[in-house]
Amino acid sequence: MNKHLYLRAYLAGIAVPTMFLLVAVMPGYTILRYVFNFPVPVERVIMFPMAVVPNLWGLWNIVFVAWREKLRMPIGLHGLLLVFLLAPLGITLVSLLDFSVPHIVLSALPVLAPVALIAYYLAWKYLVNGLNGVLGIA
Amino acid sequence: MSDREQNQNEDRELEQMRNLLKSAVPPRIDAEPRRDLWPQVLRRLDNAPERVPWWDWVLLGGAIVAACAFPGVLPALLYHL
Repeated sequence: MNKHLYLRAYLAGIAVPTMFLLVAVMPGYTILRYVFNFPVPVERVIMFPMAVVPNLWGLWNIVFVAWREKLRMPIGLHGLLLVFLLAPLGITLVSLLDFSVPHIVLSALPVLAPVALIAYYLAWKYLVNGLNGVLGIA
Repeated sequence: MSDREQNQNEDRELEQMRNLLKSAVPPRIDAEPRRDLWPQVLRRLDNAPERVPWWDWVLLGGAIVAACAFPGVLPALLYHL
């Protein structure tokens, strides 16, 4: 199990958001858009959670595995830092595509930052770390 | 150059080319693992789960309360997960 360390790190990182995408994100957006007629063209920006986020999780886990000896940073803290990379990317994409963010989301933005940080911290500490352990790279 | 010499040269070049190709392509290694790795994965999954400290429960509870109080957080959070 000592071969392909970075490939295993990538797979462990990409697994969590990919499963979450199937279980929560896609059904949630589909129900909102086509059942409740949510007046937001989500399909214009769905590329971000479908492609960018999972791949960045995989790459971020590779960075963790590659640098863990040097930095000695807990994986929860490492995962939390990903928010500072993903949030500007997401905001840039939304503004480039001229996507109108609903008022309810805009009004909750001050609360979003701490909630996102907590969610990422816990997801990396327990889910990604657990998968790293299963794949023999924890 | 006679036909015989020309054939010998061609054979020598072909032999050199064959040797070069053999040295460039690594020998085929059996990619299949020697034993079944699935029981090892199951054993690792069955290991005792990590104990969750109380502050992580507090963080999780706080995040859930915040998401319930401000439901607008959820679409933005889903967008980034």
